[in-house]
Amino acid sequence: MPDKQKNTKLFLLLLVPIITLLAGCEFKDIDKNVFVSIIGIDKSDDEDKPYKITLKLYVPTSSFKQSPEPEYAYLSQNGETLSEAIRMLESYSDKELEFGHSKLIVIGEELLKEQKVSEILDFLLRRPDIQMISWIAVGRPSAEEIVKMVSQGENAAYPALFNYFEDIGTESQYIVTTFLFDFRRRLTEDGIDPVLPIIEGKKKKKHFEINKAYVLVNKKEPYELSSLYTQTFNILSMNASVADLSTKREGQQFVARIDSINSKFKVIVKKNNKIELDMDTSLVGYISESKNQLKTEDLSYYSRLFEAEGEKFFTDFLTEMMNIGADPLGFGVDYNSRILHNKRMSAEEWNEAYKNAEIKLKVHADLKSTGIIQ
Amino acid sequence: MSRYYYYLILINMVANVIASVPAILLQFHKQGSVSSMILAAIIGTILITIYTRFFNAFPGMTLPDLLKKTTAKWFYNPFILLLALVWFIAGLITLVTFAFLLIRFVTPEMPIIQIGSTIILSVIFGCLMRSERVLYTIELVTLITFPLTIFIFYKAYTSDNLNWDFVKDAALYVNQMPNLNSFGACLFLFLGVVNLFIFNRFFTEKQSFKWKHAALIGVISTMTLFTTYFIPIGFHGFENIDELVYPWISTSDSIRMEFFIIERVLFVFILFYLGIAFLSILIHWHVSMEFLKFVFHLEKIKFRGLTVGTVIPLPFFIGISLYFLRELNEYQLFRISGLFYDSLIFFFSLITILLFFIKRRMKNARQAKEY
Amino acid sequence: MSSMETIKWINEQLKPTNEFIQKNLDYENKHILLFYLKSVVDSDMLQNLIITPFFDMKSEEQLRLYVQALPQFQEVQSKEQIRQELLNGNVLAFIQDELYLLDFRLSNNDKVNQTNVETTIHGSQLALSDNLMTNINLIRTNYHQSSLSIEYLDKGEVNQQKVAIIYDQEKVKSDVLDIIRTRLQKVDKQVITSTTQLNNYLNDKKFSLFPQMIMTERPDRIIYNLAGGKVVLLVDGNPQAVATPVVFFDFMTTMEDNYHTVLISFFLRILRYAGLILSLLLPSLYVGATSYTPEVFRTELALTVAGSRVGVPFSSFIEVLFMLFFMELLLEASIRLPKAVSATATTVGGLILGTAVTEASLASNIMVIIVSAVAISTFVIPVNEMAFSIRVLRLLLILVTSLFGLAGLVLGFFALIMYLVNLDSFGEPYLKLYTVSKNKKRSEGKA
Repeated sequence: MPDKQKNTKLFLLLLVPIITLLAGCEFKDIDKNVFVSIIGIDKSDDEDKPYKITLKLYVPTSSFKQSPEPEYAYLSQNGETLSEAIRMLESYSDKELEFGHSKLIVIGEELLKEQKVSEILDFLLRRPDIQMISWIAVGRPSAEEIVKMVSQGENAAYPALFNYFEDIGTESQYIVTTFLFDFRRRLTEDGIDPVLPIIEGKKKKKHFEINKAYVLVNKKEPYELSSLYTQTFNILSMNASVADLSTKREGQQFVARIDSINSKFKVIVKKNNKIELDMDTSLVGYISESKNQLKTEDLSYYSRLFEAEGEKFFTDFLTEMMNIGADPLGFGVDYNSRILHNKRMSAEEWNEAYKNAEIKLKVHADLKSTGIIQ
Repeated sequence: MSRYYYYLILINMVANVIASVPAILLQFHKQGSVSSMILAAIIGTILITIYTRFFNAFPGMTLPDLLKKTTAKWFYNPFILLLALVWFIAGLITLVTFAFLLIRFVTPEMPIIQIGSTIILSVIFGCLMRSERVLYTIELVTLITFPLTIFIFYKAYTSDNLNWDFVKDAALYVNQMPNLNSFGACLFLFLGVVNLFIFNRFFTEKQSFKWKHAALIGVISTMTLFTTYFIPIGFHGFENIDELVYPWISTSDSIRMEFFIIERVLFVFILFYLGIAFLSILIHWHVSMEFLKFVFHLEKIKFRGLTVGTVIPLPFFIGISLYFLRELNEYQLFRISGLFYDSLIFFFSLITILLFFIKRRMKNARQAKEY
Repeated sequence: MSSMETIKWINEQLKPTNEFIQKNLDYENKHILLFYLKSVVDSDMLQNLIITPFFDMKSEEQLRLYVQALPQFQEVQSKEQIRQELLNGNVLAFIQDELYLLDFRLSNNDKVNQTNVETTIHGSQLALSDNLMTNINLIRTNYHQSSLSIEYLDKGEVNQQKVAIIYDQEKVKSDVLDIIRTRLQKVDKQVITSTTQLNNYLNDKKFSLFPQMIMTERPDRIIYNLAGGKVVLLVDGNPQAVATPVVFFDFMTTMEDNYHTVLISFFLRILRYAGLILSLLLPSLYVGATSYTPEVFRTELALTVAGSRVGVPFSSFIEVLFMLFFMELLLEASIRLPKAVSATATTVGGLILGTAVTEASLASNIMVIIVSAVAISTFVIPVNEMAFSIRVLRLLLILVTSLFGLAGLVLGFFALIMYLVNLDSFGEPYLKLYTVSKNKKRSEGKA
């Protein structure tokens, strides 16, 4: 190629001024950043500055093997807006606050009840550095307390709270996992309502408890799901992969460990804007504990008992949800996905229909074993 | 067909997943995007077939070569210049979009000019390469970037968090009239084939292009369109999807890789897509540069024995791009891309008519020679 | 010109050489004049093949026929040729007014070497020798084709070294051969001592980072390349051959790839390319990720990196350059040092320096790991010349990354690929994906 050498020369000619121009470019080393691990957002006591942000920061140590004790720094600040609070926080730290590694956002319980979730969400989504895959949860009594608490047996550099939500940590049937993007779509869509786990800090015992959840219903006080309902929600939404369910019926009392959950639902539309919620759940597992002695040949009988019990649980849960008008499972979206958009009923009609919907539940239980003993 | 031909089509299709195309489609999610997509898939495939068949009939000939033989000079020069401009803008849009993405997500502190010049400098000298070498580059870079891109799409499809109900909900808006903006954006995905205007000089042998090739392209493009539009909806819901400025970036940020050194898919996605954007700009600007050569006979301009002519367009390319990088904001870019896509619908319908005209002229010329 | 005049001219020419010997044998009306350079002629051979038979011969005519029948006999063409051949170790015999050249060269360098640059576990352990004829002999004995052609040239204005162009006439691309011939004609250097010199002289670019020819010391590789249609150049007195035209992938293959089973050589190839990518990108990746985009890594990794950088006084790219500089020094030093010392140098340099640097927190632990990983992976690249290019390229990529961040690294890498694709090696594209298809017919042409 004859143009080759000339090209190289031209390239150099262009490159030299550019490099000199860039002499003062932004070059910031990793040790000049401080990483935020958890963001806590609370309601403050100050009227003018209603938001209070608490940040949990990782303290970098040269070797995690030499200092196994977890070390964190905390920053806290009130502000009229969230950005203002963060701006103030930045002046407290000698290093740049780096939000890209924060994995958990805790919203204080009080703030949640103030109906300001959409404002918070706007802030969280607008910032490009906050991960869409960070978990979002409610802190009880306040976000600050949860953020500042270090639980027993916590490893350095990895807050214990993350393990609760992560698939590779604990697999509790009571923990609802909600990612930020999931929260956003549930909040902005009509047919599905957001569910947020509640993190309770037990100060004396130095550990967290996550076994309840809030359902956020449009323009209404958030509804708190009890542990039992939280578990039911997790099973029905297939959020949990294993679950223990106890059955007490016909003189039998046993606990079944379910290791395969499969749940489907659909909305069946009937005349006069009536709907039927059709649920089909299959649970496969084994019996892990029993009051009485069990017989292997009666396994199908136990399954029937278990099915009846499950049906009761699920019906209770659904009825309750319908009563308060909450739709955490997304029946509304399912309805939308079945009917052409111009033939759908209006939002009010749907709400009415949902409240009076018929429930048709089917549970297929399959207990495969009575465990090691009969 | 030669595999290089598919690269040309594929790059254009995939490069626009991250650009303004999904944003435009999602903007009109309640005004007929779905039907526009279906319509575009059909018309696009037909368009690809027509263009490929046409250039197959004249192996090794570029469009300017053919025009020179069949049209008058007053038409030829301005028309080729217009083509050069169109291709330049196509590259420019990709460039600005990507510079915006990088400043938003990867290096927020860096000045936009610096980011822009990184991309421009890496691409610009490639535009002067021979067409053959451009295609080899495309092949290698594609081979590096594609597997990971496919993997990310796979991750997206298999994610638990992909809610198919939203997708179905969105698909049920099919019974609307297609709208021009969505249609233009979709059709742009299919326009990779028009790069044959120049790259046909590489395909000197007659290729076989049968219905199964056309069907393959149709299937691939439909899948790309489907992914482009429906996956963000599956992750972010349907009702307010239009509030996302970068739907695909948000979507890639919603996918998680638990066991990898990089946890956020977002960065992998952007950095690997940078490769595809690089190729897209390379192709478009190379074609544009070649058109300019045809108009101004740049290779004949010499200075002290060296052909300096071919590098004359470079300062203009760089200058204009940097100017637009500084001046445009996200909304303007979005609008300009939209207008550009819309205008291409008419532009290429006219060119299709022109192609039939050329074909007839060429046939007459050939018959005249035979007698 | 008569023979006597030629002899006079030769005498004139070779007078400055005090080793020039003129021997006049005269016995029983047989007469022979011998001219030779003492130091380059095998005197045993001369004794056995000329001097002893001379005294046994019956007539001069018989002697003349005998000399002509010797396998060492060469036809005389010109007086310049005679001078050259005398310098090469020929004996000039003058019988009955006729001149005869006899090749009695003495070569002490015709022993075949052990491989030490391209060592393998499988396959031949022998390399080329320093002697051109021995090497050609090696090639001929391994490549039995009548189409194998060898052309000789004398190159180097001062030292007039013999250069051989070897190719398979049926497989070689004629345009490549023409380019090599014309470019070889143009070489006007004073001294040619090595084949690798030709790599630079035959290249028409002033600055080129990538080798245009592949250097090898293995006869099996030469055979492989000849069969692949390449042209091989050999220089007398040099145990290395160069083959051309090359493509990038040639530098990533070893001869052993053909000796292993398919899966194993596939695995080894993957390993090698991983090493290439790693040694090229790892330092830049470190700079880009730590200084521009710390969000890229997963949290635990980012914290470890940040933690290990606590107290390091330099910014990341200085740190990288600093450590790479010492690594390069170490590499260079261990080539130059005698074998006995180089092990010590490596230990001192690698282990002690590495530990001390982290102890003194001049560099982070992670950095030391990266530099060692880079050093190791550089050695995985099978052909040395490419490893050198990669070492330089690495620095360029670090520069680009320090200026433009991770995006700069990615684009720089793609621009590098583009550059390689645009390169030519004697008219062939340097980097291009080749596919093996059943029908050889290509559906594309050159554009």
